[in-house]
Amino acid sequence: MDIGYLDIVVAPWGSLRKCCVRRENFNYLSGKIDFRSRLLILTLIFFLIVPFLLSAQSFKPENPIQFKIKNAGITVDGLISDWEVMVDFDPKKLTQSSIRGKANPESIQTGIKLRDKHLHGREYFHIEKFPFISLESKSFRSKGKNAFIGIFELQIRGVKRELEIPFTLSQTGKQQMFKGEFTIDRLDYGLGEKSLVLSDEVRVVVEF
Amino acid sequence: MKIKEWLSRLPLWLYGCMLLPLLAFGLSKQVVSYFSFSDIPRIWTDEAMKDWELPNSNPEYSAQPVSEEFYYNLPERVIYKTYPVYHPDHEPEGYWEWLHELEAEIVLDESKLLTEEDYIKAGELLFDYPIDTLGAVISTKHVRNIDFYTATEMPLTPEGIMPFAQWVVAGKGKVYLGNLSCAMCHTRVMDDGSLLKGAQGNWPGDKAFAFALETDGASERAIQNITSFLFASPFAEGDPHGKLLATGKEAILEAYRAVPEGAFGRQGTSILFPPQAPNLIGVKDRKYLDHGGLGQHRNIEDMMRYISMNQALDFLNFYGDYNPIGLTKERLNSGEPIFFPGTYDRHSDAQLYALAKYIYSLSPPENPNKPSELSESGKIIFAEQGCVTCHTPPLFTNNKLTPTDGFEVPDAHYDKYDIFGISVGTDPGYTMKTRRGTGYYKVPSLLGLWYRGPFLHDASLANLEDLFDPARLKDDYVPTAFKPHDVKTKAVKGHEFGMELNEMDKKALIAYLLTL
Repeated sequence: MDIGYLDIVVAPWGSLRKCCVRRENFNYLSGKIDFRSRLLILTLIFFLIVPFLLSAQSFKPENPIQFKIKNAGITVDGLISDWEVMVDFDPKKLTQSSIRGKANPESIQTGIKLRDKHLHGREYFHIEKFPFISLESKSFRSKGKNAFIGIFELQIRGVKRELEIPFTLSQTGKQQMFKGEFTIDRLDYGLGEKSLVLSDEVRVVVEF
Repeated sequence: MKIKEWLSRLPLWLYGCMLLPLLAFGLSKQVVSYFSFSDIPRIWTDEAMKDWELPNSNPEYSAQPVSEEFYYNLPERVIYKTYPVYHPDHEPEGYWEWLHELEAEIVLDESKLLTEEDYIKAGELLFDYPIDTLGAVISTKHVRNIDFYTATEMPLTPEGIMPFAQWVVAGKGKVYLGNLSCAMCHTRVMDDGSLLKGAQGNWPGDKAFAFALETDGASERAIQNITSFLFASPFAEGDPHGKLLATGKEAILEAYRAVPEGAFGRQGTSILFPPQAPNLIGVKDRKYLDHGGLGQHRNIEDMMRYISMNQALDFLNFYGDYNPIGLTKERLNSGEPIFFPGTYDRHSDAQLYALAKYIYSLSPPENPNKPSELSESGKIIFAEQGCVTCHTPPLFTNNKLTPTDGFEVPDAHYDKYDIFGISVGTDPGYTMKTRRGTGYYKVPSLLGLWYRGPFLHDASLANLEDLFDPARLKDDYVPTAFKPHDVKTKAVKGHEFGMELNEMDKKALIAYLLTL
């Protein structure tokens, strides 16, 4: 499923596009926008978008986001397969680097369809109200060769919390491969309630 | 003199220590165990009755109970000594004549109830006590007819006692068959003939009622009327009970006969969507009462309200402007008594308190299914399959309400009730088309499965094995327990868990479930 990552994350382009649509409507109704104005707007859009597209492109990783949670002593493995990430990461320019990801909780799979449906509901991800999970880097620091620690802001169900994520980078030519693991307390984000059998801690593995 | 002097020299703290045994064994016992009437809650207050029950799935038709004033103007019940009902072939010689020689004996004196134990004992008496002697379900001539036992396949104890009704002796020569005790629906005759009080009962009540109607030669009109009193819900979409009444006498009797033992179409429910008779053992820990979670159960007062309402007072409820027994609000509140079974008197608050205490005290018998290697592997499957999410140990329920298909949970309910926001797809009829329907089903506890059955809220499956049989999802399936009277086959849909397990895993899972 396409979650329209670019529409949401690349806000300047998104808002300008909307502006453009509004102006086109205006043109349709009144016919007051001339060819020069149109050209100017298109040129502006072009120069605004291109730097974004060149520096950081959104893509859908092959590997789903994996998570593990203990339920009645059994580890339940789950996946979120529909997600996108935008990477602009240079190990030599950590202050200018950024990683942003957005995941669609509707694509969650735990092996039991009805459980997945329950996870969509308001007691967990409440996807009608909160259709995305987002993760956005704030800063990075190096932790040895190809190892880093990022401070990220994770947003689930409208709750934003900063967390430290250690991750590794393996680079082959221009190809970068990242792998990070972190643990969250699901109750911090209002995912379900305290349970006698379901653990609070969820281990998350992200690889792209 | 010397002793006095010696005593006076003892430090004060030592005197304090001498009082400790008193505190431990004397005073504390009195404080914990003794009750006074001021401890008995007044349960039927206008304020409390306002939102104790959940609204109907069609909220305009939510139950409006009688007022506090009306309720407390009803006379309190007098509890007479009762006597067992025997199958005629097992009745001791001279028993019937002996009963007619007896004087009435009042067996419950509330002023003598002092300790918790007193209340529990009185509660058991009340649990067995029939609140109707007008023949609400069956009467003397039925239970003294041998055909009654054959037609209904009535479970009996080894002594030949039919434990679901009692003889009430209200005076010399006044021997009445008593109906509508708690024990009627919540007593199970076990395979070995022993009685298990509070369990999912196996009283074949609807078969018994069909026998009574038929052998009494009740007219079609009479059968339609009584069936309407019991189940009509003209405000429900499609009015299924109205349609049943229109099909005539024979079809209605067939509908009664179709309800298996272990289920019972009590008033406000349905014989089209009959509820499984609930297991009361362990009910203390459950947050909702009734399959649809109609009554909240937050404290003992709620349990007392539920008992009082369910024994028959819901016949006096209004659902919008509709009353099941055809009363108008003017007639209800005219001050004239209403002679309808169970509605012309009431239990006192102390009696209800005793009943609730007894019900809370019920404990399961020893489970003969001990943990084994097989059941232990079933325990792991139980966790792997995610059963624990809803059937969470140690109660084996998460005590939540699941909306049925077609019911949209109002936003306000999420804050007010315990909602598990998905449907498991079981038959929505009971909770969408009856007077007691809320739009929800409560998540049932799995405790005591070994002594229970049939299963699911509508008692459609006789065995646990059937639950995991994918064949039940097909339209050509013949339900192993409740099957509506007007169909030959019917899919038993919903709760589609564990169906893809291999046979060995299913066996292990069932072995585990039977240990609970």
